[in-house]
Amino acid sequence: MYFTIAVRNLLQAKRRTLLLSLAIGAVTMLLVLLQSLSQGLNETMIQAATTLSAGHVNVAGFFKSKPSDASPILSDAPPLRAILEKETPGLDYVIDRARGWGKIISDSGSVQSGLTGVNLAEERTLTKIVQMARENEYRDNGRDQVLGDINKLAEPGQLMLFAAQARKLNVTVGDQVTISIETIDGQTNTMSGTVCAIARDIGFMSGWSVFLNRSSLKSLYEQADTSTGALMVYLKPGYRGREKEVMDSLRGILESKGYTMMDHDPNPFWMKFDKVLAEDWIGQQIDLTTWEDEVSFLKWVLVALDSITFFLIAVLTFVIAVGIMNTVLMSVRERTREIGTVRAIGLSQSGVLTMFLLESLLLGLFATALGSALGASIAWLIDSSKVAITDDAIKTFVMSDTLHLSVLPQHVITAIIAFTFITGLSALWPALRASRMQPVTAMSSAT
Amino acid sequence: MSAPIVQLSNVVKEYPLGHVTVTALDGVSLDIDAGDFITIAGPSGSGKTTILNMIGCVDVPTRGEVVVDGQPTRTLSDRALTSLRLHKLGFIFQSFNLIPVLSVAQNVEFPLLLQGHIGAAERKKRVAEMVEKVGLTPQSGQRPSELSGGQRQRVAIARALVTRPRIVMADEPTANLDSVTGQNIIELMRHLNETEQTTFIFSTHDPKVMAHAKRIVRIKDGKVEDDGRGNASNNQAAA
Repeated sequence: MYFTIAVRNLLQAKRRTLLLSLAIGAVTMLLVLLQSLSQGLNETMIQAATTLSAGHVNVAGFFKSKPSDASPILSDAPPLRAILEKETPGLDYVIDRARGWGKIISDSGSVQSGLTGVNLAEERTLTKIVQMARENEYRDNGRDQVLGDINKLAEPGQLMLFAAQARKLNVTVGDQVTISIETIDGQTNTMSGTVCAIARDIGFMSGWSVFLNRSSLKSLYEQADTSTGALMVYLKPGYRGREKEVMDSLRGILESKGYTMMDHDPNPFWMKFDKVLAEDWIGQQIDLTTWEDEVSFLKWVLVALDSITFFLIAVLTFVIAVGIMNTVLMSVRERTREIGTVRAIGLSQSGVLTMFLLESLLLGLFATALGSALGASIAWLIDSSKVAITDDAIKTFVMSDTLHLSVLPQHVITAIIAFTFITGLSALWPALRASRMQPVTAMSSAT
Repeated sequence: MSAPIVQLSNVVKEYPLGHVTVTALDGVSLDIDAGDFITIAGPSGSGKTTILNMIGCVDVPTRGEVVVDGQPTRTLSDRALTSLRLHKLGFIFQSFNLIPVLSVAQNVEFPLLLQGHIGAAERKKRVAEMVEKVGLTPQSGQRPSELSGGQRQRVAIARALVTRPRIVMADEPTANLDSVTGQNIIELMRHLNETEQTTFIFSTHDPKVMAHAKRIVRIKDGKVEDDGRGNASNNQAAA
């Protein structure tokens, strides 16, 4: 009966119900949209990070031959890799990448970039996720076709650029470039390389990444066969989201095997040079990080978006809450005599409270469900339309050249529960006032 | 002789009105027997409604004692008063006071639902019986707004009686009805009083309505002018 009364009262006050539903639904829709943008950004970030620069967990470190130098390498990688392959919880696979920093020079320009040496035979996602760019995406009057082949990275002296770099260097597939690096001793080494493929940008992170044949990069740095830049650990789907736990577990395992571990520093390896250089030790120390640590310098984007979302939603929620409170107060005033009547008939104070709260909760549930469904549909539509972002600043912000929105069921459910709860909470005070009315006072009301 | 079902002993009711205190009832004492059909008569503002509110447990006295079905109301908690209203009392209001969003049958069913212990089948049966008694079976699915004044008051009567209360209070039940409909309503109440043995206490200042009462209590300025005990000639005179 409470349900019938609530539904019919809502239907009776059509205009009021509609206006409030629209307001509550709109805020819920906005929340779902902003959450899906944040989630999309997070997914883009993890995809970019785990494709370009990190595994889910990274085992890297520094080698110091004397206290005043520091090489970001693992000097004896094979036994370490064997331990990881045997003992990592939830392991999918391990890859081995050489790392460096250098200058790519063409006839018409140069770019500074991180250098990643890959062994294509063990890369599982790189060739699948990285999409090749058409020539007209990085060159004016270029052909509307994909040139080159990423698989050529298996050959020495081959390198893959991203579209933004190719545009800057004004090169196309097949062109020769010079790669120049500086070793830890301050010696400059150069090599000539052939652009075997040019990929589409993966956010602005790809602007700093050049992939080349692993053995070529190691030769350039004159590294031993057993040394490498990082062992990247990829986890099975069930273990994703538990990277920190896996990292902590590996720390314990490696310590028990006698490795010296660096204190956890949630930053990428290139931000640790100064600190390691200042430390007074020699030999090998192992540094464990998660993919999030490796892109921590980009986290501000997510933090900024989440902060804007929180602020915007908080302000709108406050406005809506005041609106709901006023509306329920108005409804209580209009139905004062009805309250007196039902109290006289024998409805308890808690019954009156239930009557008004249920009405608000039903309104909240209906409006938030509608708003969430609409928000999720719009997010899905935007995502499937692959809306191109033309503005460079926005591209940088969302780390992609298309708008990616991702709706998680838990976001939708949370939005529905949260806003329904807020609706109920906003109605609590007027509902309490209604329930505490003396029957005789309510019955003698003029309304 | 059995104890009265309602006893008012030296009841005083005062209301604050701005800076002054208004005395609505000034030492009212009254006994009402079970099965009575009693009218409380008096001019507007004399205290009729206040007496009904006291007996109906929607208000408590400032001083004095109101005992309803053996329970002194002044010391009862809100919960206990609510329970007393729900199980022992029925109300019929001057302006019908039906729940506008519920149908005739749902309005009648409402107090049974509040009682909680009656199963759905029994509820439906009692509602159907009561709606039939007040002659509204064809209208049982309609909302109050679709009914005439007389029909609405019949719904209110059905709602008041469906819980089989010991006492039904009716505050000027015919005031908003035309004379013929009003007459019919009073006759219906009287019929139910005789068949169900329910005590009816109603207020009015209409002499034609008073004529149906077994007993007339006259109120003036918050005091009982005539409690109508054994004074049959008064009834005749009023008629």
